[in-house]
Amino acid sequence: MMEALNGLLTGFGVILTPANLYLCFLGSLIGTLVGVLPGVGPLAALALLLPVTFTLSPVGGLVMLSSIFYGAMYGGSTTSILLNIPGEAASVVTCFDGHQMARQGRAGPALGIAAIGSFIAGTLGVVIMTFFAPAIAAVAIRFGPPENFALMVLGLVCTLFMISGSTIKGVLMMALGFLTAAVGLDVVNGHERYTFGSVNLSGGIELLAVVIGLFGIAEILSNVETMAKSTLLADRIRGLWPSLADWRASWRPILRGSGLGFILGLVPGGGPVTAAFMSYALEKRIAAEPDRFGKGAIEGVAGPESANNSAVAGSLIPVLSLGIPSNPVTALLLGALIIQGIQPGPLFIAQRPDLFWGIVASMYIGNVFLLILNLPLVGLWVQFLRIPYRVMFPVVLLLCVVGTYSANKNVFDLWVMLGFGVGGYVLRKLEYDLAPFVIAFVLAPLLEQSLRQSLVMSPDGVMILAKRPVAALLLAASVVLTFLMFRRRTKNEGGLP
Amino acid sequence: MKWAGIAYALVFALLSAPVAAQSDPKAEIAKLKPKDFPSQPIEFTVVYPAGGGMDVSARLLAKQVESLSGDRIIVNNRTGGAGMVGHSYLATQAKPDGYTVGVIASLLWGDAMLRAQGRWAYTDLEPIAYVNSDALIWVGSTEGPYKGMSIKDIVSAAKEKPNTIRVAIVPGSMWEYILDQIEANSGAKFLRVPFQGGGAGITALLGGNVDIAQGFFSEFRGYLEGGKVAPLAVAAAGRMDFLKDMPTFNEAFGGNEYLWQLVRYAVVPKGTPSDRKAYLAAAVQGAMKDPELIAEYRKQGVFFDPKLQNSNDLAADLNAYADVERQFYVKTGRLK
Repeated sequence: MMEALNGLLTGFGVILTPANLYLCFLGSLIGTLVGVLPGVGPLAALALLLPVTFTLSPVGGLVMLSSIFYGAMYGGSTTSILLNIPGEAASVVTCFDGHQMARQGRAGPALGIAAIGSFIAGTLGVVIMTFFAPAIAAVAIRFGPPENFALMVLGLVCTLFMISGSTIKGVLMMALGFLTAAVGLDVVNGHERYTFGSVNLSGGIELLAVVIGLFGIAEILSNVETMAKSTLLADRIRGLWPSLADWRASWRPILRGSGLGFILGLVPGGGPVTAAFMSYALEKRIAAEPDRFGKGAIEGVAGPESANNSAVAGSLIPVLSLGIPSNPVTALLLGALIIQGIQPGPLFIAQRPDLFWGIVASMYIGNVFLLILNLPLVGLWVQFLRIPYRVMFPVVLLLCVVGTYSANKNVFDLWVMLGFGVGGYVLRKLEYDLAPFVIAFVLAPLLEQSLRQSLVMSPDGVMILAKRPVAALLLAASVVLTFLMFRRRTKNEGGLP
Repeated sequence: MKWAGIAYALVFALLSAPVAAQSDPKAEIAKLKPKDFPSQPIEFTVVYPAGGGMDVSARLLAKQVESLSGDRIIVNNRTGGAGMVGHSYLATQAKPDGYTVGVIASLLWGDAMLRAQGRWAYTDLEPIAYVNSDALIWVGSTEGPYKGMSIKDIVSAAKEKPNTIRVAIVPGSMWEYILDQIEANSGAKFLRVPFQGGGAGITALLGGNVDIAQGFFSEFRGYLEGGKVAPLAVAAAGRMDFLKDMPTFNEAFGGNEYLWQLVRYAVVPKGTPSDRKAYLAAAVQGAMKDPELIAEYRKQGVFFDPKLQNSNDLAADLNAYADVERQFYVKTGRLK
C-alpha cells in the first residue's frame, strides 16, 4: 500500500511538468477526435503518431499515446448516439440504445452519461491499477484457452437474453453472425474457408465494414425514406443533462461495467470491444424490464461505455507490468516503448519506476481532462441534430466511406460495407434484431480459437473444460442461465421458444 | 508536428556533418534523383499491422530515408489475411511508378508458393535493398516439469511420451514447419497449440498453458533478461550475439536444415522505371548504412545477414533462400 502511494507520488512528480501535462492534454484531445471520427480507431491513430513520439522523451511519448487510447473510448460514443454510426468498434453497442435515446430527444443525457460513466470507470480502473497491478497481472496471465472458451460461452448465453422480439429470428441472426465470422483463414491449420478463391475474403470480413454498413448505411437508407421531416430529430430535444431518474438507473450499470470491463481488459484476448458487448449483455440479463433495451434504455449506454474505459486500464496492466500485450493497441504501445530503447518485461516497474508511475499518474489527470473536454461538447453535439437531414446525410455517408476505407485501405471493404448496409436495411424492415448478429460475429473467432486450442492442449479431450476450476465454474453458470431463460421464455410465450 | 520533423532533420544533418566530409550519402542519392520524381509522397507499404516487428522496422527505415533523400514518405499498413492481402496488392495492384515501395518479410515466399494459386509470384516484386533478419528461437519455461532441460532433452522426452509437450505455433508458417522437421528426424511428437502470432504464444507460456513458445528475440528479450523464460535453441546458421550460450538447432541435432529466419527487405513492383528504381535503391541502401539506424535495429534484437548485407546481386541471393524453402515444401508434399 505505502509502496503504491510512494510510487504514485513519484509519478505525479514526473508528470506535473508543463511539457508532460501538455502532451497528456494533446493526447486526450486527439483521442476524443479519433473516437468521434468513425473508422479512425485508436490503433490507426497510434500508428500514425508513433513516429512523432520518437522525438519526445519516453515518458512524454507514452503518456500521449496512452491518453489517445483511453481518449478514444470517450469520443467513440458520440457518433454512435447521434448518427447510429459506431465511432470505433468498442462503441458498437452504444448504437443499440444510445441512438434510440437520441431519437426520443434524449441525446444530451445519453452523451452525458457516456462521458461521466467513462470518467468514473476510467478513474476506478486506474485506482485498481495503482494498488494491485503486479499482483493482478500474475493471476490474469494464468487465464488460458479453456477459461477463455468458458467466458465466451457465458457471453453468448447472455446474448440469448438480449434477443428482443421473436426468439427464432434472434437465434437465426446469431447463427448468421457465426457463419459470417467463419469466413477467412482457419485459426488452427491456416486453411481458407468460404473464400471462393478471393484474396480479399481470405483475411475474413472486416468488423468495422460490417458494423458501419449495418448501422450507418442502413440508418441512412431508413432516414432518407422518410425525408419528409426536415431534421433528424425535429425540435424534440429534451434536456441536456441526465436527470435524477437517469442517475438512479445508471449508477449500478456504471459500477458493474467498470468491474467487468477491467477484468476483460486484463485477460489475454479480451479488450474494450469484448468488454462493451459483454456489459450490454449483462445489463440486459439482469434488468427488471429487459424489453426496454434497444428502445432507449440508459443502462444500455452507461454500462458498455463504462466497461470499454475500464478495459483500457485493465489492458495496460499486463503490458506495463509483464510486457504482454493483450490486444493490438497495447501491442503498439509495446512497440513504442521498444523504439525508445526500453524493453518492457517483468522487471519494468523495478527498473523504470518513473515511467510506470508516470503513466499511471497521467491517467488520473487525463481522465479529468477528458471529462472537462467532453461535457461542454455535449451541448454542441446535440445542436448537430438540428441540421436538416438532406444536408446531413451526404456528410454521414462520407464519414462512413472514409471511416471504412481508412482502417485497412482496402476498397473491397467498401463493398462489404455497402452489402451489409443494404442487408441491414432489409433485415430491419423484416424486424430482425441486429444486435445478436454483431455479438456472435465478434465473439465467434475467440470462441472457436479457444475451444480448438483447449482441445489440442488437452490430453483427454473436452474433460479439460471440467478439470480447470475457473472454466468449469463459468460453464456451470452458463448452463444455469440457459435453463432459466428457457423457463422464462416458455412461460412468457406459452410454448416452446 | 511538421516542425518537429524538420528540427530533427536539422539536428541530424548537423550531427552527421563530420561523416559527410568523407562521402556524403545525401549527395550520392541526390545525384541519382530523376528529374520528375518524386512529385508526391512515396508509400512504404507494410503488410502487417502497426506496432509489430515489421512495422517498427519499416517506420525506423522511413524516418532515415526521409532525412537522407528529403522526400516525403508515408508508411501505410495494408493488412489482412496474415499478410496475404498486402502481398497480393503489391504484386498485382500497386502501380510500378516508384511511388510504392514494399517493406516486406520473406514470408512473402510462402504466400506466393502456397497461397497465391498462381495469380502472382514473388518474382513480381523486385528487391532493392536488404533491411535485417530475425531468426526463430524456442524458449521454455523456468518452472514445471521441463525446467532446466536442453532442447535435446525436450525432444527425447517428446519421443518417449508422444503428444504431451505443448508447443505454441502460428499455423501454416515456419513455426509449424520446424516442428515438421524435428518430428520427422527424431520420431518425437508434440502437441501443436495454435495462436495468432508469437506474442500470444509467450503469454501462454508464462501462464503455464503451453510448455514451449516460439518467436523472435525481440519479442522475448524482456523475459529472457528477467529470467522468466529459458532459451532453448535458435534456427539460424550461427549462434546469436545476444545469447552466446544458446545452441543452434543444427548444433543440437547435427543437421543443416534447421534454418528458419525472417529476412526483411525492400521491394518495388516489377516494371518500375529503372531510374526511379535505382534512386529508391540508393536511398534505402544509403539509409541502411547509417550507424544510428543500425544501432536502433540492434536494440530491437534483430541481426544482419552478412551474405545479404554485402550482396552484389540481392535478387539472386534472396532467390537462393527462397529455393531452399521451395525444396522443403516439395519434400513435405505441400507443393507439387
